[in-house]
Amino acid sequence: MEEVKVGVFLSDCGGQVAKILDFEALTSFVKAVPGVVLVARGSEFWRGQGLQTIVEAVKAGRINRVVVAETVPKISEVAIAKALEEAGLNPHLMEVVDLKNHCAWPHKDAPKEATEKAKAMLLAAIEKVKLQEPIEKAEFPAVKSVLVIGGGVAGMQAAEDLADMGFQVYLIEKEPFLGGLAARAVRFFPTDDCAICIQSPASLAAVTQTSRKCVYRSGLSEITNLNILTNAKVVRVEGGPGNFKVTVERKPRYVDEKKCVACDLCASVCPVEVPDEYNAKLSKRKAIYMNKPLVYPPAYVIDAKVCKFHECAKCVEVCPTKAINLDQKPEHVTLNVGSIIVATGFREYDPSVIKEYHYGEYPDVITHLELARMLDAFGPTGGMPIRPSDGRRAKRIVFVQCVGSRDRRWNPYCSSICCMISLKHAAMIKEAFPDADVTICYIDIRTTGREHEYYYERAREMGVKFVKGRPSEILHDPATNTLIVEVEDELLRRLLELEADLVVLATAMVPSEDAKELAQILGIELDQDGFFKEYNAKLRPTETKRRGIFICGGAVFPKDVPTASLHAHSAAVKAAKFLMNGKITKALKVATVHQDYCGNCQFCPVTCPYGAITLEPKGDGHFAAKVSELLCEGCGVCVGTCPVGAIELRHLKASQISAQIKALLSVNGASKPLVLAFSCSECGNAAVDSSGMAMMSYPASVRVLRVPCTGVIQVQHILEAFKAGAQGVMVVGCKPDGCHYEVGSQKAKQKVEMAKMLLQAYGIEPERLEMFNLVFIEGDKFAEAAKAMTEKVEKLGPLQLA
Amino acid sequence: MAEEKPLDFTREITSRLGGETITRCYQCGTCASTCPVARITERYNPRQLIRLALLGQRDEVLKGDTIWLCASCYNCQERCPQKVEVADVIYALRNMAIQEGNIPAIYMEFASGLMGEGRLAPISKFLEKKRAEYGLPPLKPANIEALRKILAATGFDKIMFKKEGACP
Amino acid sequence: MTSYALFLGCTIPARQPHYELAARKALTKLGIDLVDLEGATCCAPPPIQSIDLETSLAIAAYNICLAEEADLNILTLCTGCFESLTIANRLLKEKRELREKINKILSNTGKEFKGTKEVRHYLQVLINDVGVNRLKQNVAKPLNNLKVAAFSGCHLLRPSELLRFDDPERPCIFDTLIEALGAKSIPYKNKLRCCGGLLRGYADDVALAIARDKIVNAYNAGADCISTLCPFCFLTLDLGQMLIKATYKEEYNMPIIHYAELLSLSLGVEPKELALDFHKIKVDKVLEKIG
Repeated sequence: MEEVKVGVFLSDCGGQVAKILDFEALTSFVKAVPGVVLVARGSEFWRGQGLQTIVEAVKAGRINRVVVAETVPKISEVAIAKALEEAGLNPHLMEVVDLKNHCAWPHKDAPKEATEKAKAMLLAAIEKVKLQEPIEKAEFPAVKSVLVIGGGVAGMQAAEDLADMGFQVYLIEKEPFLGGLAARAVRFFPTDDCAICIQSPASLAAVTQTSRKCVYRSGLSEITNLNILTNAKVVRVEGGPGNFKVTVERKPRYVDEKKCVACDLCASVCPVEVPDEYNAKLSKRKAIYMNKPLVYPPAYVIDAKVCKFHECAKCVEVCPTKAINLDQKPEHVTLNVGSIIVATGFREYDPSVIKEYHYGEYPDVITHLELARMLDAFGPTGGMPIRPSDGRRAKRIVFVQCVGSRDRRWNPYCSSICCMISLKHAAMIKEAFPDADVTICYIDIRTTGREHEYYYERAREMGVKFVKGRPSEILHDPATNTLIVEVEDELLRRLLELEADLVVLATAMVPSEDAKELAQILGIELDQDGFFKEYNAKLRPTETKRRGIFICGGAVFPKDVPTASLHAHSAAVKAAKFLMNGKITKALKVATVHQDYCGNCQFCPVTCPYGAITLEPKGDGHFAAKVSELLCEGCGVCVGTCPVGAIELRHLKASQISAQIKALLSVNGASKPLVLAFSCSECGNAAVDSSGMAMMSYPASVRVLRVPCTGVIQVQHILEAFKAGAQGVMVVGCKPDGCHYEVGSQKAKQKVEMAKMLLQAYGIEPERLEMFNLVFIEGDKFAEAAKAMTEKVEKLGPLQLA
Repeated sequence: MAEEKPLDFTREITSRLGGETITRCYQCGTCASTCPVARITERYNPRQLIRLALLGQRDEVLKGDTIWLCASCYNCQERCPQKVEVADVIYALRNMAIQEGNIPAIYMEFASGLMGEGRLAPISKFLEKKRAEYGLPPLKPANIEALRKILAATGFDKIMFKKEGACP
Repeated sequence: MTSYALFLGCTIPARQPHYELAARKALTKLGIDLVDLEGATCCAPPPIQSIDLETSLAIAAYNICLAEEADLNILTLCTGCFESLTIANRLLKEKRELREKINKILSNTGKEFKGTKEVRHYLQVLINDVGVNRLKQNVAKPLNNLKVAAFSGCHLLRPSELLRFDDPERPCIFDTLIEALGAKSIPYKNKLRCCGGLLRGYADDVALAIARDKIVNAYNAGADCISTLCPFCFLTLDLGQMLIKATYKEEYNMPIIHYAELLSLSLGVEPKELALDFHKIKVDKVLEKIG
């Protein structure tokens, strides 16, 4: 290793910090530290003349390590790193120390002690940076192509965005036709546009030639770079972000999309007729069929479950373009994509489990999707709501809200769109059949979106009746073939028995039946209700914890079409950002394994929140852990887990941790016993920052050692701290359910518990060690905790180390 | 009497055996709709009863007639979408009412039977004869000592003699 | 030969010995050995739970302890006893804190609830231990398609989370056992709805109105009789018809008959051995129909 030459630059924040800390003393102290060749003092070093000073020193070769005491640590780090890189120095060979918020402000009542602490802080930074080796950047391939799973509203929107931007897009759909749930809905709220229309946003390439709105007229399928594969499902994913190899299985359609002219001759001769599920079994279709009125692809498909194949083959005979091939086999297609977007949507919950409503038993109890098919002019009843039991027009219709939603027995959440759907359907019925008697039984009416309240107003104006009460049971009177809905009208405080020809259940919206399997294949998480989980709904929506894999639309939670569109565009932008440079550049602030030490205990692959560690054969029959540089987030949870110290972070080696522990505790001068606080760089450090920024006071004997994540901490670090002179140790991390690296702070808690047991065994009071889970706005709690810890340790007296 | 602060009465209920789930209620009315008593008489509505309790109307609930009209059929508890243990909450309310001396006459009788012979229904000589006629074995007596020890340990016996102002 | 501790409760032995009689005869014929529980008290049903839930749990637990000590599972006839004992058994098995609390109370009697035994209703014993097929084989006098309005009452089925006897919305065990005897279990309006029995003594008018509904519904469905499992239901519907006659001036003459009695009759027990004079509404029509 080359000779280490450290330059230390002390910013006094326009003189403010110098009023509290003795900069003369700091300067002399730092000068005397071995390895320090340059010390400068100034007002600001992260920009302007100050930054120039650093750059010049680097360019002149005077220094090859940089320590800066700066006051806006996050911003200054980035600015200085950039400048260093441009000047030719590896940007990771620097350390920024916040003397203002972590020292001067919180200890302004004890300036002498604050100065001693400042010395310790600087020493720690210097020792750390002396041991830091350069960290290089690596480039990983980013194939400029995207797989979109799910051909509903969200999938189509995202696919079109990306195709227009020049990415190669594979839009796969498990059904034989695109459109998803929404295509069956007839009209969308809040604008009552026909369902087909909303499915296509403005298309860049075709904006002058096609309608801005209508997929019928937008030629979605003719967009270059957009490859649509129906009857297709993902079966396997290999590779990693930027370079996934996805195996897609395509069920045979038996009809060649390129040859079929949709003439319907095949269906007309097909002898097999089955209830049409697409039309809620209210009508029949043939074994060879195409959904009406308009679908993509405009080609027929054979239902392999009911077709007689070669026993019949009449369709093959009559097809004018010879498009039918009964021998088509399933095929596996391998796609190489840089990014994956999940848009698998949601589906209606099957309410037959809610036995008191008799869905599936009484034919006149139906769901919204089934009603939607009736109300569709293209549908099986030509737009008329009918009673499936006798085919007569339904005059008295009762809607039941919250069926299987907001219900602890089935799905505890609110499905969000059912109130609007009921209002929409009620209005559609009243519009077409003013003599219809429509009642909606509800617990609450939720019309929270833009223009949604008008739907509620309109429904009331049209004479839709509302009963506030949840029906307890639906009965059937066999004598009159009428349904009876038992419900309490709470506002009247009267028990009603509503007679109905048709009862429509606003049943819950639940994740697609393939969500669980897909989540496993992709390695992403589902939330407690089974929907795909966003990494952080507030700041990183549509992202998952796996880079390069995004989620959008109803698959994330039931939503209306406008919101699904928004969501889809978000996912498209994220995928584009991820892939646009054709490569992923990453600084390798990652973990590495010393393969010789690895004992193959398999703890680290299991604990890594990002699945970044795999076990590789070493050739001598043993396996060793290997870290994927692309997937590793540099949190260090693996480091904290490894029992033999075989794995290390490049940006925080074991030697660097030890050096910092020693340094922070070496300069005492404190009137109180020393306490070392290990703090994570996310919430933990934020709490320390904010306590300082708000000038809350705590003793200068509390010294903070920043780590990426508290998950990196091992029991031995805690013991080392005590040996090095700490009378007390604090571990400050994120809240257990809010750790920025998923599991880090929970793992830290486990280590703290173990350490407490060991301390007790050594005869040391376990209360000398505590863990705190704090967030940024809890700066006051950090200050209190620091004070309380110090007091406690004072009371316990000096540590007796055997 | 001064207005009770709603949260205190609610907390009283949730801290009692049987009353733990009352705060889950979101007033959907399923219980009222499925209740056989509510279907027959306007005097009783379980949803309204829970609402009164959650609004802190302690006196109206504990001194009133309503809590005694539940037939313990458990339809409400079975069908409640929020898993409010409605029937058990009503037991808890009755327990509270009795502790304060509001106890209908019929329940005094039940309690006397229990404390007297360890049985709700005392056996008459006529019945004993009839049993013998039909060849049924004579009825074994309950272990009244053990029972009384239990009643003393829970304070049941003290509950019983606190009767002030029986309810209508 | 399966043995069970027979838990009789209060009401059956003291008020409805015809139920006990029929049950003993039938179960013995089917090979179930019934052992009387020494010192058993009241099970602490809803009237006692209304006074104090904790006391009720302790009393129920005490009775279960008696069975644990005898190393026998409990068999109940009354569904009220079934509910009270089953709920206590389950809650105390599953909730440690509650169990400790109740055991502290029980320690005054020298007993400790250990959770080693089960509580069964005799219908469960028929379905599981005897089995529908063996039951059918033992039927000496099939009931000739007697139209039975099956009424299990509330406490056999609900709260289903704790009782886990049958599907609370679509129960079928009781109907299966009725049909195994050669009778027909007919559908009728509000079959699973309560009889109102527990309101007797507090609001007799309300209780009677609810009971009347049940009788009317069974009557309108063409039932030959209503079959019960609970002594309270029996009383409410049987004696209740006398009160209905006095209050509403209506006569339905609907025989109310415990399943145990139908079971006994179908197994070949002679009517005169069954104390049928305890029924207020005479069951002659039923006896005629079954021959």
